[in-house]
Amino acid sequence: MTGLGSDVVYVKDLEKRFGRFVAVDKISFSVKKGEVFGLLGPNGAGKSTTIRMLCGIITPTSGYGRVADHDIFYEAEGIKHSIGYMSQKFSLYEDLTPFENIRFYLGVYEVPPEQWKDRIEWVLDMTRLHDVRDRITRELPPGSRQRLALGCALLHRPEILFLDEPTSGVDPITRRHFWGFIDHLAGEGVTVFVTTHYMDEARSCERIVMINEGKIVVTGSPSEIISEVFPDTPDSDLNDVFIELMSGRDS
Amino acid sequence: MNLINIKAVSRKEFYHLIRDFRSMYLAFIIPLLLILMFGYALSLDVDNVKTMVVDHDRTELSRDFIRKLDASSYFKVIYHLRDTVAAIRYLDQGSTTMAVVIPPGWTEDIKADREAQMQVLLDGSDPNFASLSRGYITAFVEAYNRDRFIDFLNRSGKERIEPPVDGRIRVWFNEDLESQNFIVPGIIAIIIMIVGAMLTSLVIAREYENGTMETVRSLPIRGGEFLIGKAIPYFLIALTDVLVAVFMGQVLFGVVMKSSFWLMVLASTIYISVALSLGLLISIATKSQLVANQIAILVTFLPSMLLSNFVFPVENMPKVFQLLTYIVPATYFIDILNGLYLRGLGLDHLWPSYLVLVGMLVVLSNIGFAILKKEGM
Repeated sequence: MTGLGSDVVYVKDLEKRFGRFVAVDKISFSVKKGEVFGLLGPNGAGKSTTIRMLCGIITPTSGYGRVADHDIFYEAEGIKHSIGYMSQKFSLYEDLTPFENIRFYLGVYEVPPEQWKDRIEWVLDMTRLHDVRDRITRELPPGSRQRLALGCALLHRPEILFLDEPTSGVDPITRRHFWGFIDHLAGEGVTVFVTTHYMDEARSCERIVMINEGKIVVTGSPSEIISEVFPDTPDSDLNDVFIELMSGRDS
Repeated sequence: MNLINIKAVSRKEFYHLIRDFRSMYLAFIIPLLLILMFGYALSLDVDNVKTMVVDHDRTELSRDFIRKLDASSYFKVIYHLRDTVAAIRYLDQGSTTMAVVIPPGWTEDIKADREAQMQVLLDGSDPNFASLSRGYITAFVEAYNRDRFIDFLNRSGKERIEPPVDGRIRVWFNEDLESQNFIVPGIIAIIIMIVGAMLTSLVIAREYENGTMETVRSLPIRGGEFLIGKAIPYFLIALTDVLVAVFMGQVLFGVVMKSSFWLMVLASTIYISVALSLGLLISIATKSQLVANQIAILVTFLPSMLLSNFVFPVENMPKVFQLLTYIVPATYFIDILNGLYLRGLGLDHLWPSYLVLVGMLVVLSNIGFAILKKEGM
């Protein structure tokens, strides 16, 4: 096995082409168990393509990768059982109630029916949606819908949670709550893999990979990255780093 | 195959269905309307042709002719007119479609063994109706002639004379030539296409448009399980519609099935599955509800109506269209239903059509599975 001990995500020279367009260009990184890991980059950098390869939705063109001990080329179904994925749009069934949405995910994740009652209680508690469980999802505020989507992705107790721009279109207070919740999950040992282009959110990640045009630009913890890019100005922040790196210093 | 998976998808799909009034309308109201409309309005039978008579002769014989005409089930004399001008006015108005004009001296001509002429005016704006009416009146006049001829010979001394050739016609299958008997199977075929293919053409396109397909692709569910789960609620609705149509056909139109009810259910089950796979395939391929709906009308509803031998006889179509009818599933389903309903046939005669439908099902569903597999399911 090429993946090392506590790495739950391990990729080496991972590449994805669509025709002649190279969306992801031979990237390599790894994510440790229980880590909050951020994949940062401007729009079109290849963030979504990377996350979709890791979730078994699309097959890479070449390279090697393991997610939760499953090969991303050959064991997509095994990966899908071990992960939770929340896409940019919360992609809930808006004409269903939260309860009905939850029950759909329980079935599709093949959670044994005798555990359903407990899981439903657990998720409704965690997402604070008990009072609205039988309302139509469309009528709920965005914050509630986001919590519901997150709750649905956690119903089968996944090892890794993949979040693709989870806070787009959500107000700052809801975002703060959301990140509090992510920290709580990480404390329970769930690995969280998140893409974002909000730099204040990126600060909450323990480790960051920044990509641009399908290539990795910089890797490390937020403070490491800042001091690496701006060794002489200690009061710089991640925003400065992002602008510095992405506005094409090296192109 | 995993039953928990499939059940979860079916249940979710069922909720979508009952919360979308357009779908419910398509699923239940349209079929009912179609049965009633086709059953009552699209009667292709011609009887009691509204007829006017203009009797210039006014003899016992001409009055006897008109009485016999009215007594026949094919004609109904609704106006006795004085002159042809009035008859033409009624034809122009469209209040009747046929006029019979008996000229003065008609009886004299007959008695004198001269050719006695009689004029028939027909409204040809509905050619089908006009040619049927023409056939009826021609046959009626011939029969009248023959009766008079035999009557004459019998009276002039010969004991009993029978015409040399007496064609006794018996219609095999559908003895009364009731068009409702073949309209009911046709309606069932069309209803299934509407409910099966047009409704389901929306369901996966909707997931793509709402972005939920992205999540579904990240779930541990296979394309086949997903499609079967989606199809089940629509399958049940379509089957209910079929049973309602069969029941209404029997109660309202007296269309009774001659052969096995279960063979009909088997044929419907296969045909519904064909329609569902076609609808789902359109939905996967187009990924847009609007486009899917247009295509569904084009490739399912219209061919079932036009190219299935239902309303329009295939024999009269150009060769290209005749060939096209072979790829329309409704052709085979209507063939089976006609066999079951009108001819009382069993599987021993109808198995080729069953087999073709099964073949279509296998091909269509496998294309659907293959596309979803390529999409990462």
